[in-house]
Amino acid sequence: MTLVMQILVDGFVISSLYALGAIGFTIIFGVSGVLNLAHGGILVVAAMVAWYMGANLGLGVYPACLVGILAGIVMAYLTYYLVVSPIERSRRIPAEEKEIFILTATLLWGIMIQEMLAYIFSSNPISVPRLVPGITNVFGVHTPTNELAIGVVSWLVILGLWFFVNKTRFGKAILAASINPRGVSLLGFELSSIHRLVWGLYGLLAGLAGVLLATFIGASPTNVGDLTASAFIIVILGGLGSVPGSLLAAYIIGFIETLTAYLSDPSYRTLPALFMLIIVIYLRPQGLFGRR
Amino acid sequence: MSLLKAEGLSKRFGGLVAVDKVSFSIRPGEILGLIGPNGSGKSTTMSLVMGIVRPDSGKVLLDDVDITGWAPHRIAKQGLSIVFQHSRPLHRQTVLENIMLALLPDSLVRLIADPQVEAKARDIAARVGLAEVANQLPDTLPFADLRRLELAKAIARDPKVLLIDEPFAGLTAPEMHAFSDLIATFRSEGRAVMLVDHNVKGVRALVDRVLAMYVGQKIAEGDPDEVMSNAKVRSVYLGGSLDEPVIKTTAMAVAESAKPLLSVQAISVHYGKAQALDKVGFEVHEGEFVSIVGLNGAGKTTLFNAISGFVPYGGDIAWDGRSQHGRTPGAIARGGIVQCPESRELFGDMTVAENLGLGGQRLPKAELERELAWLFELFPVLGERRKQTARTLSGGEQQMLAIGRALMMKPRLLILDEPTLGLAPVVLDHISQALEVLRKETKITLVLGEQNVTFALKHSDRIYLLEHGQIVWQGDAPGFIREAGERYL
Amino acid sequence: MSKFLRSYRFWITVVAIAFMAILPIKASGYILGVLTMAYYFGVFAMSWDLLFGYAGEVNFGPTFLIGLGAYGAGMLNSYTPLPMWLCVIAGAAIAVVGGVALALPALRLRGPYFGLMTLVAVLLLLQFIVIFAGSTGGEIGLAVPDVLSISTDANYYYALVFMLISGGILFAVSRSPLGLILQATGQDPIAAQAMGFNITKHKLFAFCLSAFFSGLAGALMIFYLGTASVNTVVDLAVAIQIIIAAVLGGRRTIIGGALGAIFLIVAGELLRPIGELSNFVVATVALLVLLFVPDGFLGAVLKRRAGL
Repeated sequence: MTLVMQILVDGFVISSLYALGAIGFTIIFGVSGVLNLAHGGILVVAAMVAWYMGANLGLGVYPACLVGILAGIVMAYLTYYLVVSPIERSRRIPAEEKEIFILTATLLWGIMIQEMLAYIFSSNPISVPRLVPGITNVFGVHTPTNELAIGVVSWLVILGLWFFVNKTRFGKAILAASINPRGVSLLGFELSSIHRLVWGLYGLLAGLAGVLLATFIGASPTNVGDLTASAFIIVILGGLGSVPGSLLAAYIIGFIETLTAYLSDPSYRTLPALFMLIIVIYLRPQGLFGRR
Repeated sequence: MSLLKAEGLSKRFGGLVAVDKVSFSIRPGEILGLIGPNGSGKSTTMSLVMGIVRPDSGKVLLDDVDITGWAPHRIAKQGLSIVFQHSRPLHRQTVLENIMLALLPDSLVRLIADPQVEAKARDIAARVGLAEVANQLPDTLPFADLRRLELAKAIARDPKVLLIDEPFAGLTAPEMHAFSDLIATFRSEGRAVMLVDHNVKGVRALVDRVLAMYVGQKIAEGDPDEVMSNAKVRSVYLGGSLDEPVIKTTAMAVAESAKPLLSVQAISVHYGKAQALDKVGFEVHEGEFVSIVGLNGAGKTTLFNAISGFVPYGGDIAWDGRSQHGRTPGAIARGGIVQCPESRELFGDMTVAENLGLGGQRLPKAELERELAWLFELFPVLGERRKQTARTLSGGEQQMLAIGRALMMKPRLLILDEPTLGLAPVVLDHISQALEVLRKETKITLVLGEQNVTFALKHSDRIYLLEHGQIVWQGDAPGFIREAGERYL
Repeated sequence: MSKFLRSYRFWITVVAIAFMAILPIKASGYILGVLTMAYYFGVFAMSWDLLFGYAGEVNFGPTFLIGLGAYGAGMLNSYTPLPMWLCVIAGAAIAVVGGVALALPALRLRGPYFGLMTLVAVLLLLQFIVIFAGSTGGEIGLAVPDVLSISTDANYYYALVFMLISGGILFAVSRSPLGLILQATGQDPIAAQAMGFNITKHKLFAFCLSAFFSGLAGALMIFYLGTASVNTVVDLAVAIQIIIAAVLGGRRTIIGGALGAIFLIVAGELLRPIGELSNFVVATVALLVLLFVPDGFLGAVLKRRAGL
C-alpha cells in the first residue's frame, strides 16, 4: 500500500515537472514550428544560475530562484535571436531544409551551453536548497514538503497559463497563431511580436522547470541532452504542438518511468517509454493529440 | 476504342466529396480538356488517374488494363505521364541530364547509363526547343523553358496518355502558341492528352472535347462551343445569364476629382520565374464598391495578397495617399485594409465567438458588444452558433464567419476574395443581401474579387476585368455586359 | 569547361591522396592516430550524406547503424571463434538487417517522423547495451580479443584505404543514374513516382548502402581501438558529430562528409590544450559555418566554380 502511494506521489511530482518543461517546448513548436534541441541547456542554465546566486553570492533561495528564471528567459531570447531567427530569415538556406538546419543549429547551441556551463561551474551536479523545508506525511508516505510544493507550483503555473491563453487578448492571439498564423496577421497582429512573446513565455516555463528541478533532484551540465530528450519524447507522444497532449504525455511518461523504477530496476527507467513511443509513432505518427 | 477510360470515379476527403462518380474516356490522338473552377475536383480527378490518390470507388482503364489502385510508378510504366504545373528540376544537373533522368529505367543495378540515352535526350531537347540550352543548369532558364523541360521529361517516357496540368499558366501569348503547337503534335502521334485548366477559353483552340466539372461532378461534356453555351456551365462561371437585367443602376456619384482611398500603381508580382501580375493598376474611392472579376488563376488572390502585404511586389500601392511599401501585413490590417481571403483562414478549433472576439480585440468592451449585436443581426446564424467551433460549421456559415470576423476589425476598406466559392444558391443570396446592407448602411469601401460575374455585377459601381495578370477592361456593369461579357468565358 | 574542371578536381584529389599516403613517413604516431579516427568518421559522414543529401531522408540516428555494426562484430568476436574479418562482415550485415527493419516501416512516415524514428532507435540501442551490460560491457565498454594491427602505420593505412574505397563507391553511386533517381526522389517524391520510379525501392537501397558502410566502418573502428564503447559508436553526441561533419563539409557532395569529419576531429585534437573549452569552440565554429556558409566548405567552393 505504501509502495502504491509512493509511486503515486513520486510519479505526480516528476510528471508535473516534465509537464512544465514540455509545455513551453510544444508551444514554441505550435506557434513557430521550431523544435528547440537546446531545451535542456536552458533548463540547466536556470538551475545553475539559481544555485550560483544562492551558494556563492549568498542570495536567499527565493531571490536566487528568481534570478535563475530570469536567466532562463534571457537564454530563450538568445536562442531565438542568435540561432533560430537568422536561419528562418536566411535566403541561402532552401525552405525545405530549414527544419534540419534549425534542429542541427539548436543542437550545436545546446552543446555550446553545456560546455560553457561545465567550463564556468564544472560538471559536478549542483542542487538548490529546498524552497519549503520539512516532511509531510501523505497517506503514510513520508514526502519532503518541497516535492509537494513543486507539484503545486507546477500546476498553479499551468493553470495560470491556461487562463492567460484562454482569457487574455495576447494569450488568445498566441493560441490563434498556433492554429493559423496567417489568420492572425489578417487580424492586424504582428507575428513577430507574437513570436517574441512566445519565446519569453517559453523561457519563463523552462527557467522555472530548471530551478524546480534543481531543488528536487539537482542538475548538472551533463543532464542537458537527457532533459532535451525527455521533453522531445513527451512532445512527440502527445502530438507536436498540442498543449493538452503534452500534459497527458508528461503524466504517462512520468508514471511509467516511476513505476518501472520502483518495480524493476532504476536502470530500466526509460525503456518502456521508448517502446511506447515507437508504437505510437508507427500507429499514430501525429501523436495522441496531434492534429495532422 | 479508347486509350484512357475512367468509370464512376469517386473520392471523399472526410465529409467532402471531392470527386463524385466522374466518367470519361479519351481516344488515341484526341485532346480532352478537363475544366472547372478552384475546388471543382479536377485536380483530384487527375491525381486519381495517376494513382497519387487512391479512388474510393470507380475504375481507371489504360489501354484496357485495369490500373485502379496501382502505385503511381506502375501506372507511369504502363504508359501514363503527367506534366505538373510546378516544375522542380534537379538544380545541380543540366537540362540534358534532367531529361536523361526521365529516360532511366527503374533499376538498382544500372550504375552506368545506356550510351544511347544521351542521344535520345538530345533529340527530345531539340523537339521541345531546348537544344540550345541543353547544357545549362535549370536555374539559368526562363520560366517558359522550365515548362518545356517538364514536357520533355513527360515525352521521354514515350507515354500513351499525357496529363497536363494548367499547360499555359504563367506563359506569355507567343509562348502559349508555341506550347499549343507542341501539344498538338501529340495528336498525330496517336497519344491521348488530357489538359486540365480553369476555363474553356485557355484550351479552346487546342482541344477536341471538353469536360466541365463543378463541386466534384461532371456538369457538361462535348465540343468546346457546346460546353461554353451550356446553361449549367454559364451559371457556374457567370453565376447566371448575363442577358437578364439584374443590374441595379445605383452607381454612386463619385467625385472624379476626389483623391482615391486606395491607389494600386502598376504593381507586378513574380513567383520564382512565373509572372503572376503584370503592371496592374486600379483605384478605389471612399464608399465605392469595386469588383475585380477574373477566372481562377487570373491573379486576383495574388493582387489582394500584395495589397495586404503578404507578397513582395514591384510598383507602388498608396493607401490614403501614403505608400504601403515596407509595412507588415499586421500594420496594413490595423491601418484599415482588411481582407477576407478565399481560404477564409479561420481558427478552426476556436468557437465562433472567439473568432469574432479576435477580430474585435482592439475595440473597447461596450463597442465590441455593439458590433457583435449588429453582426448577429446581419448574420443571425452566427449568433445561434456562437458557442460552436468554427471547424464544425458548414461552408456557408464559415464564409459568413470569415466576413463577420473581418467586419469586427471595423475596416475602412474590406477586401472580399471569392466569397461565393462553392456555396449553395441560398447562401449566396444571403451573402448578397449582407453586401447590400454594407453598401447602403455603412461607410465601408468594398473591393470584391469574383469569378462569378453575375454576383459581382449585381453589387458593383465599377468593374475591372483581370486576365493573365493584367487588367484588360474597366468600366461599369452595363458596359461590362456590352463589351466584355462574351470574351469572359 | 566541364572537362577542364573534371581534370582540375581529379588532380587535386590525386595530390590529396598522395599527401595522405606519404604522411606516415613524417608524421608522429599521435597525428596518425587522430587521422585514423578521422577517416573512420569520414565514412560515417559520407554514408549519412548519401541518405540525406541524395534521398532526402534525415537520419538522426546514424549511430544506430554504426553501433549495430560495431557491437555485432565485437560480440561475435568475443563469444564465437569466428575470425576477425568474418566478424567485420557479419557486423556490416547486422547493420543492414537492423537498418532494413527500421527503415521498412519508417519510410512510410511523412514529414519529420522518419527522423524521429531514427532518433528513438539510437536511444533504444543505448538502453539495451546498458541493460545487458553483462554481455555488452555496458557503459564501461566491450573489449574485443582481436585487433586490426598493433602498428600505427598499418592501422593508418587500413583506415585510409577503407575510406578511399568507401568514398569512391559512395561517390560513384551518387553520380550514377541511381544517384539521379535518388535526388529526384528526395526533391519531389510524387514527381519521381510519376516518372515511373519505385521510390521506396530506391530509398531502401540507399538506406542499405548507408547502413552497410556505417556498419563496416563501425566494426573496423572497434577492431582498431580494441574496445567497443557506447561513447565512441552509439551515443547521440557521436551522431550529432557525424551530422555536423556532413553539413560542414557540404551536403550533397559525399566527399564533403570526409572533409568535414577530418576537420572536426583534427580541430578537436588541436584544441585539446585549451581543455574543456575545446568542444565549445568546435561547436561554435560549426554553428557559425551553418549560419553563414550553409552550403558547407565544398558546397561553397562548387557553387563559386559553377558561377552561381
